[in-house]
Amino acid sequence: MDLFLQTLVNGILIGGILICLTIGFQLTFGVLHVIDFAVGGWTMLGGYTAYWLVTLAGIDPFISIFLVFALFLLIGRGLGPLIYHVRTSKYARPDLMALAFTFGIFLFMRGGALWLWSYNSRSVDSVLSGQFLSLGPVTIPLMRLSAFLLAMLFSLGLFILLYRSRFGMAVRALAQNHDHAGLMGVDVKRVSAWVYGIYTALTASAGVLIATIYSVNPSVGVRYTLFAFFVAVLAGLGSVGGVLVAGLALGLLEAYVATYIGARYSLLIVFGTLYLVLLVAPKGVLGRGI
Amino acid sequence: MASKPVLTPKLIIRALLIGAIVIALAVLPAFIDSYTLRIATGALMWAGLACAWNIVGGYAGYISFGHSAFFGIGAYTTAILMQSNIGASFFVTLLPAIILSIAVAVAIGGPTMRLRGAYFAIATWAFAEMLMQLVTVLDFTGGTAGLSLPAYLNEFFFYYIMLIASAASFIGVWLLIERSRFGFRIKALRDDEPAAESLGIRTNLVKVQSFALSAAITALFGSIYAYWTTYIDPYSVMGPEITDQMVVMVLLGGLGTVWGPALGGVLLWITNRYIWSTFGDTVIYLPILGVIIALVVLFLPNGLISLIVGRQRGKELISRILGKL
Repeated sequence: MDLFLQTLVNGILIGGILICLTIGFQLTFGVLHVIDFAVGGWTMLGGYTAYWLVTLAGIDPFISIFLVFALFLLIGRGLGPLIYHVRTSKYARPDLMALAFTFGIFLFMRGGALWLWSYNSRSVDSVLSGQFLSLGPVTIPLMRLSAFLLAMLFSLGLFILLYRSRFGMAVRALAQNHDHAGLMGVDVKRVSAWVYGIYTALTASAGVLIATIYSVNPSVGVRYTLFAFFVAVLAGLGSVGGVLVAGLALGLLEAYVATYIGARYSLLIVFGTLYLVLLVAPKGVLGRGI
Repeated sequence: MASKPVLTPKLIIRALLIGAIVIALAVLPAFIDSYTLRIATGALMWAGLACAWNIVGGYAGYISFGHSAFFGIGAYTTAILMQSNIGASFFVTLLPAIILSIAVAVAIGGPTMRLRGAYFAIATWAFAEMLMQLVTVLDFTGGTAGLSLPAYLNEFFFYYIMLIASAASFIGVWLLIERSRFGFRIKALRDDEPAAESLGIRTNLVKVQSFALSAAITALFGSIYAYWTTYIDPYSVMGPEITDQMVVMVLLGGLGTVWGPALGGVLLWITNRYIWSTFGDTVIYLPILGVIIALVVLFLPNGLISLIVGRQRGKELISRILGKL
């Protein structure tokens, strides 16, 4: 029973970070109609940036995460217009071209990371490393708890932005109908670019948290791209609210498989479940809409 | 159906050109050293793989990110059957490899190809990753340690077998897609699926047929590759890099064209080997691939072949690039 409770807590804590990882991805799909293959790449680069900030400048990851957020907001904002250009171009299949384009970006990031930093894993240390909080039978590493809380903070921030600001209203209008939003005076191109920036910022921040809890190496990108796909598909592509449930579901699934079946089966079962979910309910289990 | 092609001068020139290329490829091994021969063998393999991917990605319009699964199925079938406890000879293993890949393609193709666009891409990727993880945890596949095959050190043999397989793939695809009803069906499916269905095309059947054909060719090359390299492990024959290269080669050469994949495959493979011999590894090749994809999507969505075939498209391209500046 203790083991069960411990696994439950672990699953929820990881689930929170997966929510932060996927929520921006969902927003991008909802607004730009682009499946971004590079989501794991942003995660990885966020982790590496935190690693350098702590190694070279001695900035704790729980502080540098805000720097990473700002940095990737700008990078994403710069890249956004290109994505928008490809997606709205007059090619035969702009959706597939956009897919291929982000795939190229991802390959560039993954290959570039491998070339520059090779396969070695780098761990990101924080002052909270190795500290624990004991609650009855359950032991909670302070770092995981703080990471979870930060991830929730970022996600909450996104919801406030979406539902309590003029910019958020423009974003939601775009998600409903590009043409009509444009006619109502929304600058479609600019808002789309900012949405892409917010997405890369959120994903890179999640990458900082993941690097702090585990470690970062160039090959984690593929894994987190598939994790983001998993959460997004389970929630229904484009559904921002559904991510809250789906992220927790994946966190719990991974934690229980690792505890009761064996860690080496966890990826097999996660990818198998993703495939089955896609076949049974391609529109998502939880419905869609922003 | 279009009327039977008449023997026009253009067609004769084209036939002569293709014949010349085939003869040149057939006598090539006599003039090059064994290192260059290995590169040429690899180029033939990648051209064939790009041709296979193009059937689903280019003609049917379903971007598959899971073709490494079929390459792996072919490689592992051959490797397992050639282990000393079974001891099958190489040619005997080709048939089960192809049959197994077709069976898997039909089994997963039916349900997976109901998914459109990005959903299909994600599903095939998830399937390929799942299969790679499965191979890693199973015992009879050798797990992470991989499998060794009996070595057969005759480079000429592998060159000619790749040449035959590759030529057969291209000629088969040309006949089937550019010269038969099947080709019209599959292109109609890509251009407008509901409209194709309303015209009486059984789209589900056509999709699964094209997927199975593509899988079978991919598995065939997987089998040959396993025997050629004599050692395989889950990552080397099922890793994402296999699919990555197939996608980039077709995009670079020209999606949905017969000869585009050959051009893209050969060019990229030679680039790959050149980088390998210059830098000692191919890691820097990956970011270069990424940049190539991005640039092709931005400036050359019809691929390199559009520069050769038809001046009109070339003009369009130049105006597009100039328009950007």
